[in-house]
Amino acid sequence: MAITEPRAPTLAPEPQRHWLLQWLTTTDHKRIGVLYLLNSFAFFFVAGVFALLMRTELAKPGRQLVTTNGYNQLFTLHGTLMIFLFIFPVLIGFGNYLVPLQIGALDMAFPRINALSFWLLPVGGLTILSGLLAKGGAAAAGWTSYAPVSEQGGAGQDLWIVGLVVVGTASILGGINFIVTILRLRAPGMTMTRLPVFVWSILATSLLVVLATPVLTAGLIMLFADRRLGAYFFNPTHGGDVLLWQHVFWFFGHPEVYMLILGAWGIVSEILPVFSGRPLYGYPGVILAFVLITALSFSVWAHHMFVTGQVEFPFFSVTTEMISIPTGVLFFNWLATLWRGRLRFEPPMLFALGFIALFLVGGVDGVWMASPAMDFAIHDTYWVVAHIHYVLFGGTVFGIMAATYYWFPKISGRLLSRRLGQWHFWLMFCGFNLTFFPMHELGLRGMPRRVADYLPDLGWTFLNQLATAGSFVIAVSMVVFLVNVVVTMRRPPNAPADPWQGNTLEWATSSPPPVHNFDRLPEVRSNRPLWDARQRAAAEAAEADR
Amino acid sequence: MSAARASRAGLAVLAGAALAGCAKQGATVQGQEIHNLYVTIALLAAPVFLGVEGALLWCVLRYRRRGEGAAGQGSGGRRSLAVFFAIPTVIVAFLYPFGERTLADVQRAEPNPAVELRIDGFQWQWTFYYLNEGFFVTGKTLTRVPVIDLPVGAPVHVRLESRDVVHEFYVPDFLFMRNALPGRPNEFSFTPTQIGTFRGQCAEFCGLHHDQMRFVVQVVSQADYAAWVDQQRKAAQNVDCDPSGPPKLVSKDNSWNTGCLAVTRNVPFTVAVSNLDAGIEHNFALYDSAKRKRTLFQSLRFPGVAARTFQLQPLPKGRYYYQCDVHGPAMSGALIVK
Repeated sequence: MAITEPRAPTLAPEPQRHWLLQWLTTTDHKRIGVLYLLNSFAFFFVAGVFALLMRTELAKPGRQLVTTNGYNQLFTLHGTLMIFLFIFPVLIGFGNYLVPLQIGALDMAFPRINALSFWLLPVGGLTILSGLLAKGGAAAAGWTSYAPVSEQGGAGQDLWIVGLVVVGTASILGGINFIVTILRLRAPGMTMTRLPVFVWSILATSLLVVLATPVLTAGLIMLFADRRLGAYFFNPTHGGDVLLWQHVFWFFGHPEVYMLILGAWGIVSEILPVFSGRPLYGYPGVILAFVLITALSFSVWAHHMFVTGQVEFPFFSVTTEMISIPTGVLFFNWLATLWRGRLRFEPPMLFALGFIALFLVGGVDGVWMASPAMDFAIHDTYWVVAHIHYVLFGGTVFGIMAATYYWFPKISGRLLSRRLGQWHFWLMFCGFNLTFFPMHELGLRGMPRRVADYLPDLGWTFLNQLATAGSFVIAVSMVVFLVNVVVTMRRPPNAPADPWQGNTLEWATSSPPPVHNFDRLPEVRSNRPLWDARQRAAAEAAEADR
Repeated sequence: MSAARASRAGLAVLAGAALAGCAKQGATVQGQEIHNLYVTIALLAAPVFLGVEGALLWCVLRYRRRGEGAAGQGSGGRRSLAVFFAIPTVIVAFLYPFGERTLADVQRAEPNPAVELRIDGFQWQWTFYYLNEGFFVTGKTLTRVPVIDLPVGAPVHVRLESRDVVHEFYVPDFLFMRNALPGRPNEFSFTPTQIGTFRGQCAEFCGLHHDQMRFVVQVVSQADYAAWVDQQRKAAQNVDCDPSGPPKLVSKDNSWNTGCLAVTRNVPFTVAVSNLDAGIEHNFALYDSAKRKRTLFQSLRFPGVAARTFQLQPLPKGRYYYQCDVHGPAMSGALIVK
């Protein structure tokens, strides 16, 4: 292996402290990354249980398990926690762990701010959840909290606002940290055009975070002012405007959707080449698609508001349909990466392939909604619930699972069980489709979203039961996953530095990496430095044989 | 990989089922246009969907690792990039005009509507005003689902508003929904084409009893419609009750406990109003009739839980109309002075 600039560990040895204190005070990006992952999966568990409660309630018409107010809190908390405290932070957790490794850096640019942006997350999340203890319960106006419904309700709604401001602050700090790290701390030879795709996806995500999240924070402060300080931003009885909230929320909210998916695109674009034995097809096209989508995502927000009847339909319809062009490019590049490859169906690859199959459904069913007239028929029905879950669960969560299986050996030094990984994948894949595909048909049959109950004679019962059954299959798959993690962690470390024949720099260091990340860095001459190194080593071995 | 094949095949079958027209046909002229758009998009989307899933499946089956041998290392150039951008661009450019045409048809305002409706949403029911016929039909939260009739084949023009938060008028069989926004009225037209009973309900989450905000639209023949209008007009006149002590009104779930109060003529009287709806404002207002030409009494709005007693001046014999001004006819009744 050729070596450039061998780096001696430059960090002072950490003083010996109690292990718990070490974790609580760490500024090491890897430990912070692990904290992000643990915290995110904990909230995933809570929000997943909320989902199961909802599905159980909806299995039959009539009220069985929870009150109406309870149900309204459940879907509000499910959406809020999944989006703000699982999907986004879990991607950022992988980013935290991997971006410095993949660009050959020692740590993030601002390690203490990095620790701060992590610790704000559990604070914000628990603030939101603490609403459950408030009089009248937690926030119950949906994760979109449309005004003026969100101006009613008790302290739970205020806690939701405060919690989200805290979480938003955390992501803005993290976003700035990533941008500086990626632009300033790259190893020699790591030019922007050799940057791993996952790093590009985190860079694009961070740009969206820094540009869009402050808009949400502003909206939340206006909402709080309306509720507690006698303002009337969103209250039409005193000259306010109800649509203002929706514009502010979705101006953030649509870029948010891309914050939640770009990272998963990056993950899949890392994993497909490794398990196909091929380079990522059309690397410049993929990066160009990321950049175009990042830019376009600020121009489509009012497609969430077609049914208000008060937005410029042609403009938002055109921009929305245009965003499918770079997205289509991504699909073509992924398929072309598989083409003529030598595919290895390890668990990360299964989840990455599942991602493509399912995210495509979420892309295609979105085409109907992009057309305003069609949207009038299906918006605010279960069609939208199906769509968002095919994008964020079939898409992002499958990507997250792919990343978990792929990088678990790097993070823990142990390979997860292949067999349990296969069970996990197939149960999750089947359970997912069983839960969410019927929701398209439920939407076409007119079932609105966010209803705690429905009448028995509308033809919705059977489809709801399919969905409920599917949700429990997903739950079983998660149990398999948990068992896999627990069983694996009880074993001694067994993972080599590069168990998958990876392409990127994180595989050049031990599993898990030392505190200072690298003892030596391979030369970076392309976006696959480790593949180059393996080729050189093979050529040298062949030379020696002759 | 037989499991993979089976589940992907299952996906394709489900997609085919969606294609076959699980979407409702549309019981209005506009709804049929939207149904046609659904089918058009399905026809355009199906080849893309099946093509990509098929290519994925083919790669999985064809390129799974067998024996040794190196994978191809080509990673594309400018030409493939251009092709990859061109294909979706063409599809989008082809698709867009279909949607715009349907949108223009659906959005077109009816110049000569046969029925003029004003629909008010409130937490958590609807009031339907028949503007030309001079009566209204209202639901009452948790107690009464409004049933309205419309004549088949006649264009209906709707002005849609909300009295409090954002609601959404949604009749699945009409393939149409539109927000009822406070302070921002929406207008739209539709022409029912089928006789039948169509369920509707609020589709925008609007607070606690959102799921109970149901209504029923009965599309009937012209003759049945005329008879129904007649009957509604008469029913509005037929409420009656007798005086028995000072009137008391109790509001719970945004409904009054009674639609009829009675007092004795030419003596001052009190009305006790008790608002049990936590955080929601009500008031008590008395008018000469449901047309509200003359206001006889109007209290300030006050949020619950609270009670107020109002002193009113003597009134001559007759029928009067009271309501909560926040919730309108949904919280109204007749004050009969005997």
